[in-house]
Amino acid sequence: MPLAFLAILLPTLYWDRPVATADALHKAGIERLYVPAGQEEPWRKQGFTAAAFDRAHAVQAVAPAVEYRLDVASATRVPWVDANGWRFERARSRAYFYDVPAGGAAFAAAEAFAYGVEAGIRAVPQDVAPFARMLKFLGEIGQPNLPSRANIGVVDDGSDAMGELLNLMARHNLLFHVIPAADTKYDLNITQIPAAADPYEYTMRIRRELTDEKRLLRIFGSNLVLVRLTGDASEARVHLLNYGSATVKGLRVRVLGPYEHGKVSAFGHPGAALEEYGVQDGATEFTISEVGLYTVVDLRRDSN
Amino acid sequence: MHRRTFLQLAAAAPAAIAAADHKIPKYRVVSHYQAAAQPGMPGPYAGQVASVHAGKCIDEASEKVDPAVVREMMSKGMRALTGDADVRDAWARFIAPADIVGIKVNCSGAPGIMASPAIVAEIVRNVMTAGVPPEAIWIYERFEDQLESVHYDRYVPKGVHIWAAETNRGSTEAYDPATYVETTFFDEDDTRSNLIRMVGNRFTKIVNVPNMKDHGASGVTGCLKNIAYGNFSNVARSHSGSLTNTYSFIGTLAAVEPLRSRTVLQVMDGLRGIWHGGPFSFGRRFHFYPKRMLFGTDPVALDRLLLDIIDDKRKAEKAVSVWDRSPKYLGPDDQHQVNPNVNQFVREPGHIEYAAGLGLGVYDLDKIKLKSVEV
Repeated sequence: MPLAFLAILLPTLYWDRPVATADALHKAGIERLYVPAGQEEPWRKQGFTAAAFDRAHAVQAVAPAVEYRLDVASATRVPWVDANGWRFERARSRAYFYDVPAGGAAFAAAEAFAYGVEAGIRAVPQDVAPFARMLKFLGEIGQPNLPSRANIGVVDDGSDAMGELLNLMARHNLLFHVIPAADTKYDLNITQIPAAADPYEYTMRIRRELTDEKRLLRIFGSNLVLVRLTGDASEARVHLLNYGSATVKGLRVRVLGPYEHGKVSAFGHPGAALEEYGVQDGATEFTISEVGLYTVVDLRRDSN
Repeated sequence: MHRRTFLQLAAAAPAAIAAADHKIPKYRVVSHYQAAAQPGMPGPYAGQVASVHAGKCIDEASEKVDPAVVREMMSKGMRALTGDADVRDAWARFIAPADIVGIKVNCSGAPGIMASPAIVAEIVRNVMTAGVPPEAIWIYERFEDQLESVHYDRYVPKGVHIWAAETNRGSTEAYDPATYVETTFFDEDDTRSNLIRMVGNRFTKIVNVPNMKDHGASGVTGCLKNIAYGNFSNVARSHSGSLTNTYSFIGTLAAVEPLRSRTVLQVMDGLRGIWHGGPFSFGRRFHFYPKRMLFGTDPVALDRLLLDIIDDKRKAEKAVSVWDRSPKYLGPDDQHQVNPNVNQFVREPGHIEYAAGLGLGVYDLDKIKLKSVEV
């Protein structure tokens, strides 16, 4: 995918509507666009930074959503979440394409940003303004150059069964990396799925073998917030994506490792604060007063 | 903020009471509160219960409660429990003027059944007589929608707080992140149940006001269930399919400090009860009228009596016993709601004996001293 104009990897609005809509985009604050091949020039003439995006060759991302499925028997009453994090982990270098219904563009942008993947997002016109506000927020918080962190290494055979396992691990906030071969730096390595294994049961077996105590990141107070963690020995960033429609008030977060300082940035919630912050037993815990669509917490250790 | 944390060994329940078919989960109890010299539960009247019956306390047809009879029942009950001649002396044993008092009501079956406003109002009156101003009295429950449906504000003096922990179901702001029980029952993601903050940082005393109710999961719901599941977040996770962990979770939660130390009085509302379908009220069919109130400090002793009250009523109605664990009685919730011989869960009335094993009270009927009073 041709894209070199971003200093940080921001998701980009995919726009296949007439050039006559340019004023509305300008008014919303949109400056960059992905457009169908051959349509770059007219948009550039309107003052946009426009690049061609081949949606047919991008990986199709699902529209983020929550499915309650009250009529379907399952091993858990926790609602299902349609999320793309597992796909991103599976193929980090690919470009992704979202075609989201009304109300979904801003969150899709946050999801792609949280995982640092390239994404084109096709939005309905009424979503352009919130999408632009999200881009502004993402630009303000930036993307520190920190490596992704995970407890589990997964040797992905590319199968559907493995895809389902990755999906379930992401759904249950079990942090993993897709790796070419088992690596002792991970607490747990998954090299294959036993034949006929029930994906949910196997995911829970992985969790039990890892143990919650070893998990780099845990949350308490929501079943609809999925997380990602980046960081190194001195700093970390916690990404919190809230797939639910309601603001979570009082989400407790536990990050393995002592980080004495924390700063929260929450899209649409300027009053969000870190409360009851503590470092104990080798872990950092805090409560985020309000968790809306997308929240990041930047953590830092004392330099000495 | 660095906190010293005391890890209570709640999981170390006596093996003898862990029945063979009960797998006790590993509980990690985190609290920085220390127990009082004499914890409120089982309190100074361990193994003692005052039971007051009054035939005219409630009109069965209208379910209208007579506040004057309730006042007399409470006076006689408190005096019978303590041995004091003056009811003010009886209340003064539990409540001091400087206390901030939480009254833990039960509204899970409201508006069909709940801690009767007349009883709650009489408790408030007695607490105020003990010198506590209305502004230091909090009637509280977990869920705002249930609490508000009762309108306690119409029965108590202005200034008394009526407060719910969860204004939106699932919100966690009102819970203390540093006081919790951590365990996993069914591989749930959120493995913590946190104590209501007010219990630790506001209330100095708690009066527990449960109802006499059958409970589809725990067998019955009385003092222990109301004080345990009614003060912690994220407790519904203990149920899955036909199984629950109420057997050990109820007592474990009730024993957490400072809840255990600050819950100083149990007043069980048995003016009316629920013999099937509890904790909810699926219409009048399953209401019954013990016309009784139980007083004590020992939640196990009161609940032990409650077990027989509910089970005797179920036997009289030819309903399956709360002790029956047979899978043949299991069925879906919609059938459970209308058929007293359908259980939604395998009931766990053994949770009361389990709590006794945690030191919360006396379970053995032969050791419970019952003082019966008639009004």
